[in-house]
Amino acid sequence: MQYPATVAELTRQLRNGGYLADRGLATTLLLSLSLHRPVLLEGEVGVGKTEVAKVLADVFGRKLIRLQCYEGISTSQALYEWDYARQMLQIRALSAAEATDETSVDRLFGPKFLLERPLLEAVRQGDQAVLLIDEVDRADDEFEAFLLEVLSDFQISIPELGTVKAASNPVVILTSNRTRELHDALRRRCLYHWIGYPTAEREAEIVAIREPAAAGQLVGKVVAAVQRLRELDMAKPPGVAETIDWVRTLGVLGETELTPDAAGDTLGAVVKDRDDLDLVRDNLAEIISGG
Amino acid sequence: MAEADPGDPFSRVLLGFARELRAAGLRVGTGDALSYLAAMTPLDPTDLVDLYWAGRATLLSRHEDETSYDQVFRRYFLGEDAALRGQPTFTAESVAKAEAALVMPGPEPATENDEEQPVLGWMASDVDALKHRSFTACTPEELAALRRIMTRMRLTPPRRRTRRTEPSPAGTEPDLRATIRESMRMHGEPPGRLFFRRRKTKLRPLILVLDVSGSMAAYSRHLLQFAHTARHAAARPAAGRVEVFCFGSRLTRITRELTHQRVDVALDQAARTVADWDGGTRIGRSLDELVRTWGRGGLCRGGVVVICSDGLDRGDPEVLALAMERLARLSHRIVWLNPHKGDDPNFRPSTLGMMVAAPHIDLLLSGHDLASLEELAGRLPALN
Repeated sequence: MQYPATVAELTRQLRNGGYLADRGLATTLLLSLSLHRPVLLEGEVGVGKTEVAKVLADVFGRKLIRLQCYEGISTSQALYEWDYARQMLQIRALSAAEATDETSVDRLFGPKFLLERPLLEAVRQGDQAVLLIDEVDRADDEFEAFLLEVLSDFQISIPELGTVKAASNPVVILTSNRTRELHDALRRRCLYHWIGYPTAEREAEIVAIREPAAAGQLVGKVVAAVQRLRELDMAKPPGVAETIDWVRTLGVLGETELTPDAAGDTLGAVVKDRDDLDLVRDNLAEIISGG
Repeated sequence: MAEADPGDPFSRVLLGFARELRAAGLRVGTGDALSYLAAMTPLDPTDLVDLYWAGRATLLSRHEDETSYDQVFRRYFLGEDAALRGQPTFTAESVAKAEAALVMPGPEPATENDEEQPVLGWMASDVDALKHRSFTACTPEELAALRRIMTRMRLTPPRRRTRRTEPSPAGTEPDLRATIRESMRMHGEPPGRLFFRRRKTKLRPLILVLDVSGSMAAYSRHLLQFAHTARHAAARPAAGRVEVFCFGSRLTRITRELTHQRVDVALDQAARTVADWDGGTRIGRSLDELVRTWGRGGLCRGGVVVICSDGLDRGDPEVLALAMERLARLSHRIVWLNPHKGDDPNFRPSTLGMMVAAPHIDLLLSGHDLASLEELAGRLPALN
């Protein structure tokens, strides 16, 4: 399936895939698709940064390749690795005559013994892939520099095999939670978009798309309550993901009303910090009543 | 517009916008401006909303810059006077006040190297006396000398083990890759020995939180110098991360301002950012903000937090207690520099703020003279 050419069309298709993108995000994504540039998404926790890549892949029938970054991630976990154990077995299985044969060594370092990791896989797949580089801020600086190299050329050199180059660039989405400042060079290479908390109407729409079974009235109440929670002085304000979780939790319990009891029992779906929990419990009545 | 030709009038308008942004202090490269032009191909350049969002995506790379972007956009494309909207208006009085309080260390002579030798010679004889003199009691010349010494001090936070490994004969994890490579050299014979790797170590992040309110201003200026040195050292590869915050009535992050090479440029920039040198101290609120906006994202996690303040908090002590508790949970160690401690080894915190914070402090130093800063630099690496 081809990527669309207009913002409106892209927004419509993402919506069909269950993702409500606002004008800014849709424009940024469209630019990324047409200019072949990576997108760097930053924003509060739980506003759907990772979801963007999943939906893009899903809607346009691309393969989602996810590289979850973490501290200490190394090239052998991001690019490729040789399957040493199999190579070893292969060597032991060779007869003396075969071992002296030139091609048998070449075969040892052939595609059969190469373990593809996300970045190499994405380069191989080209535009048939959506590459999600999740929480890039968690990887260390050195990795960022390396990423820069891959993102600029989309080519990877494997000494034993030669250079693998993408025939066409994959769509690349990077997400960051801002636990540390990313290097300017990486930011430069990307289109940038900040995803904030949605308005109440929009959040209700998002929940309705995600949880179609939920009653509209309940969704409205829950969204209003979550919006008020965000105004509270909380250590961890709930994201959209928490709103959806809360509606889902209430649905599982068969609640159709956001009563103080129901809310109190299911608070764990939205509030994830003990101090916050105390704060919210003290104000629970106001929060759910809308007063 | 099919082609992005920098010569046509429309492109000139867009490039002009990029120039305006640059004039407003945003970092917009030529490449970014070209991306902006290219962005108009799939979009509709006559649509203001497209112009706006395309610019946001291509010309911006930081959430913090959005306000400036919006102002410039309004001014450039809509012809509105930005000063009238959004931008807070400063009264003449508040500006005068802010400037009066911003007494930064005097500019250093531009030719630093020519001057260094004689000053060093002079310092060698007086350095001990100077070391133990409180910053507030120093003459300007002595302060200048102290600042030069400070630029040579290195803050080295303790190290921690990372997930990354490096080859090491004394390591514990077998290095399969190196072992196999060795084996292949020997035509597949099992190698005579196993290769090993071990976990690397890395410096913990260092977070400096400096009180710049009236009661602390005299000390904080020198600590800013200290912060600059630390921050600047952190720019080198293999150094740890250093974050610097200032607070008075509210918290300001000045890490980026302090990256400038020249001390005075950096300190001036930092001073311009810190808008509240007005004397009011809200330690609790400021630390709370640190935990909420920065700590929550993970900036302090596993780091060493150095707070410099006298603990005279005008806010609610409960807020401070809670913020300190959270900060202590987030960070590895908390060091508090209280200049009022002086050289007194039996110092007991007397201010309410200090008493509230005390249970969460791992190391209390004074930071009122050079010797105590040296003590900090000396004890920091051992804070494991």
